[in-house]
Amino acid sequence: MASPSSAPARPPAFRSIGRSILLTLPIALWSLLMFTPSFRSGGRALSIGAVLVIVFMTSLFFLMMRTGETYRWRRIFFVALGFLFPVGFIASLIAERGTMSIPISRMVSGDTPFCFMVTPALILPAAFARTIVFPGSILPTASNPHSIAVMIGLWFAFTLVLGKAWCSYACFFGGMDEGFAAFGKRRRLHRFVTKYGSILRLIPWAILLCVVLLSAALFEPFYCMWLCPFKTVTEFPAVRDLETALQFGVFVTLFVGLVVVLPYLTKKRTQCGFFCPFGAFQSLFNKINLFDIRFDREKCFDCGLCQTSCPTVALSKESVREGKTLLNCMKCGACVDACKKDAAVWHLKGTPVAVKPERARLLFLYGAWALATMFGGSILANSIATMVHWLPLK
Amino acid sequence: MRRRILSILAYTGAALMLVVAASVPFVLMGVFSKAVADAGLHIDAAYSGGTVARIIDRGGYKIVVYQPVEPRLLERIEPFVQVVFEPVDALPARVSEEIDLDGDGQPDVRVSFSLPADPNAPLRGDVTALNGKYISLTNVTGESFSRMVVRAGKQIVVRVPLNRGSVNR
Repeated sequence: MASPSSAPARPPAFRSIGRSILLTLPIALWSLLMFTPSFRSGGRALSIGAVLVIVFMTSLFFLMMRTGETYRWRRIFFVALGFLFPVGFIASLIAERGTMSIPISRMVSGDTPFCFMVTPALILPAAFARTIVFPGSILPTASNPHSIAVMIGLWFAFTLVLGKAWCSYACFFGGMDEGFAAFGKRRRLHRFVTKYGSILRLIPWAILLCVVLLSAALFEPFYCMWLCPFKTVTEFPAVRDLETALQFGVFVTLFVGLVVVLPYLTKKRTQCGFFCPFGAFQSLFNKINLFDIRFDREKCFDCGLCQTSCPTVALSKESVREGKTLLNCMKCGACVDACKKDAAVWHLKGTPVAVKPERARLLFLYGAWALATMFGGSILANSIATMVHWLPLK
Repeated sequence: MRRRILSILAYTGAALMLVVAASVPFVLMGVFSKAVADAGLHIDAAYSGGTVARIIDRGGYKIVVYQPVEPRLLERIEPFVQVVFEPVDALPARVSEEIDLDGDGQPDVRVSFSLPADPNAPLRGDVTALNGKYISLTNVTGESFSRMVVRAGKQIVVRVPLNRGSVNR
């Protein structure tokens, strides 16, 4: 294996400021368009949140254009989303019902907000029994605007554009383990992850299979009931007996293990890469997505930096030698930014590899960032508005 | 030539994707949401209570009796019948009603509960089975999906468990 050159191939300032501003303009206008309703009817706190989000998202996109780096700036947005989403969500739960737990009365009245993570578990019961095994409502109601139809509609529209990149630009949970992975510099358990990467990346598929089959057999959202680590920081079934106490224990254990400790130790997104069944399901949509990451074999000298930098072990030696990523690539851009020889490139399927890769990157990023601004941005604005309410700014 | 055609198709597709992305909040999300809503799906009866069998009008309020819900093969719930009292605002402070659940003209259970003045206060109630088809519940709240007397918005939802084998669905 050759050693990587110390000097990066890409210069620190990639584009001129003027050209970067010009390329950022569509995103700035889009952000304004998305958050105009917040200024009209959202009140002072939401207006403050909206302004901050417009500046935040536009600045990050500008920096992506200026530096040519994607991962670093995307990660700032994504970690902010991951850590601020629970703030707004928990605050709304406390204000509404005084607790993070869902009492059974709210489940039978269809007031549980729908979470996209449960989507794969719904497929078999919906297909064979026309039944949705989730205690929500199909149509939006005054008490539950996040209805099943709205959230599935949103997810499907996003998936058409992003494919598996949902996991890097839209998921409001993934930023948590990415955030904990960013703490500290020392990479422990690296050898373990490298050695067993091929097995680790199969685990989400196994969990997906179990979740889909068990949900269909038991007619309950098995992942939500037993396996979702993020229940710890969102909402969970109220503890009313041994079973619900056990469920809560599993949620907390998985959260601490997969979202906090293992990402810190491995510097990988362990929940997303080695556990999340929705992520595995989402990988299938990479097949129909137009964008991917490819490797220019003429430039690549097998230094392995791309594999080390990949947060979800979506690269293997073999796949890099074939010039491709694996199916679970979430297009975060880490390998492209890490490659010192510019061998890892953004690619539009159907076009030659490494010919105008920046054009492919731009086309992908405009769609991804527009949707990230619309969805993640509105979550951020709401969470900021919640914090503004807490602060003595009135 | 083939490479050129492929490239043109790829860039056309990428441009279309941008149009799709831009249309998500204005058109596409609504279209897909409507498609899901129109798909004829329903929430599992363990959560929704199932299908309404009949409505008993009590003047100011009504009692909605549902069809019995039987668990599917491996579903982890007991069979139950849901009864809903609505609206809560029209209910007397103390409710004690004998209800015919199966429509044979004979009362099957007596449901009793007192409404707390505070709508957020926990509600507890009793269900007395008047025949062997149903199971009595004492001082119950939201114990499980098959055993409950709870306040859910503007309704009081009561679920009466059935003795296994008594459901014909």
